[in-house]
Amino acid sequence: MHINAFEMLADPTRRLIVEALRDGERPVNDIVRRAGIHQSGVSRHLRLLHDAGFVSIRPEGRRRVYALQPEPFRELEAWIAGYRRLWEARLDRFGAALEERRNDGAAAKEEPGQ
Amino acid sequence: MSDASRPTAAPQAIVVVERVYRAPVEDLWALWTTKAGFESWWGPEGFRVEVHALEARADGVLEYDMIADAPEAIAAMKSMNQPLSHNTHGWFAEFRPYARLTLVHLIDFVPGSGPYESLIEVDFQARDDQTRMVVTLHPHLDPHWTRMSVEGFNSQIKKLDRRYGQPER
Repeated sequence: MHINAFEMLADPTRRLIVEALRDGERPVNDIVRRAGIHQSGVSRHLRLLHDAGFVSIRPEGRRRVYALQPEPFRELEAWIAGYRRLWEARLDRFGAALEERRNDGAAAKEEPGQ
Repeated sequence: MSDASRPTAAPQAIVVVERVYRAPVEDLWALWTTKAGFESWWGPEGFRVEVHALEARADGVLEYDMIADAPEAIAAMKSMNQPLSHNTHGWFAEFRPYARLTLVHLIDFVPGSGPYESLIEVDFQARDDQTRMVVTLHPHLDPHWTRMSVEGFNSQIKKLDRRYGQPER
């Protein structure tokens, strides 16, 4: 799930489409104009974004309107937050080790870089 | 325009963690580049590290075992059907003393995932009696590793939060 989400947004064209939808739902021709991409490419990427849960499709008369869905973005945010917490904790340990090292005078015994 | 039918080769997610420590840059550098220094902090809470090789130079080898030794960590690894000890290989791709290093790990122990490299960039900036350290991470996005990393160690992180409180900025 996570790797799919990241792969989705790793593509610059799909990021342009996501940007185009940030202000609200839009029909495909509007997305094409905003993203500056050929319609066939936009349609293909919209289908992929829809399959991955990033975009919903709503019929409106004869056209289809696309909108961003929040869930995948929340998952990405949670994933990054969890990863960041791991490293914040690791750097807490780094700080504690630094403190111990200074208290023990270890710096004097051990040549840095050796 | 990219080809939508082809999976993107390198999904990008970069996490930057930054700290300022009231210590000389030489001390920070030693924690990354000496056996005793590295063993004193590397790894999540509940794990210890035994360094077998650390060559403090560009392209120098880093090899160590990461060993679960606290009851909570042992239980977490067992619950995820993971061995209690991982032999880990890495190297210093960049090594500019007191300024910058990059550490590459070869991650070849994740079930269901082929070997891959994990890059950590570390930049140091000394200023007066403080040193700023910026760690730039390129997390791997394998779902198995994600679950193990994020969910498995949450309890340990909470303990650390309580122990150390807010980091010095």
